[in-house]
Amino acid sequence: MSSDLRPDLRQQVTLLELVDRVLNKGVVLSGDITLSVADVDLVYIGLRVLLSSVATLEEQGMPVAIGDALR
Amino acid sequence: MNAEGWYLYGVVEAGAPVAMDGEPAVELVTEGRLAGITSRVSLEEFDEAALVERLGDAVWLEENIRRHEQVLERVLASTTVLPCRFCTVYRTEADLRQFLSERQDALSSALAEVAGRVELGVKAFVDRERFAAGGAQENDRIRELTAQAAQSQAAQSQGGRAYLESRRLERLVGDERARFGQEAASELHRRLLDNAERGVLLDLQRPELSGRDEEMVLNSAYLVSDRPGFERELTALARELSERGLELELTGPWPPYNFVSEELRA
Repeated sequence: MSSDLRPDLRQQVTLLELVDRVLNKGVVLSGDITLSVADVDLVYIGLRVLLSSVATLEEQGMPVAIGDALR
Repeated sequence: MNAEGWYLYGVVEAGAPVAMDGEPAVELVTEGRLAGITSRVSLEEFDEAALVERLGDAVWLEENIRRHEQVLERVLASTTVLPCRFCTVYRTEADLRQFLSERQDALSSALAEVAGRVELGVKAFVDRERFAAGGAQENDRIRELTAQAAQSQAAQSQGGRAYLESRRLERLVGDERARFGQEAASELHRRLLDNAERGVLLDLQRPELSGRDEEMVLNSAYLVSDRPGFERELTALARELSERGLELELTGPWPPYNFVSEELRA
């Protein structure tokens, strides 16, 4: 291994990484309908809980789609 | 009646090359110097009341968050785009056009700030074992204690003394690791900033969220125009710091989510 940059990780975008950007960043003052701060917090907290349970499942060797964790 | 609204993914300069084919389908709404990347959505799905319900549906959320990002990445491949937040919806085309025209100046200057640049994400982690064997051994006291511990083990000395020694060593290594993590993080950020237009520090993620056991010491984003140069520097840093136990991760290119001007974010 020539370095610790892991090329396989470069394009592999985790949902958390997406959530951090898509929900919390970007142009926000527009829109007739936008997520309120309370909405965003709600989504964020919910997804984080979900993601950590998915992470736990994956650690146990059970890769799952986010959706599957709910069923 | 199934009323339709306009979901706005992001804003580009009018006339910018945008690939319109592919899934999900998007439409360009051009107004003056700007164009909105949009798609028509059912207001039944996106109206406030419905939305609150949808937000509790993780399957719906994941699907739509990914769609939002897919659209923006497709646009990002050919031009600079100002990303909107997830679920920015207009009830009518007229409302959307009004937004683009009223905020024209702020949007144009925000676009100019990020033109030709992409956002790259960097994370740094410290691997405990590699640090204990690598970086930690630069500390004289730790080296001494490590040698002692090895001796005690070789002599199979029993009981209290060896235990105390190993606990003391553990604590010292832990302190040293925390110090190394902080120093490495600020050194990384400083050198990456030299290769970027701008940079921001983001919240560190706990292991259950980062998906890695190692401790995260840096989570940052950079606005970069010279991507090969930035990646060369990152690779050099990874090589320099790897023996001491540091690991780096690169994500992106992203639309410049973290570099939309405060005025448009407020």
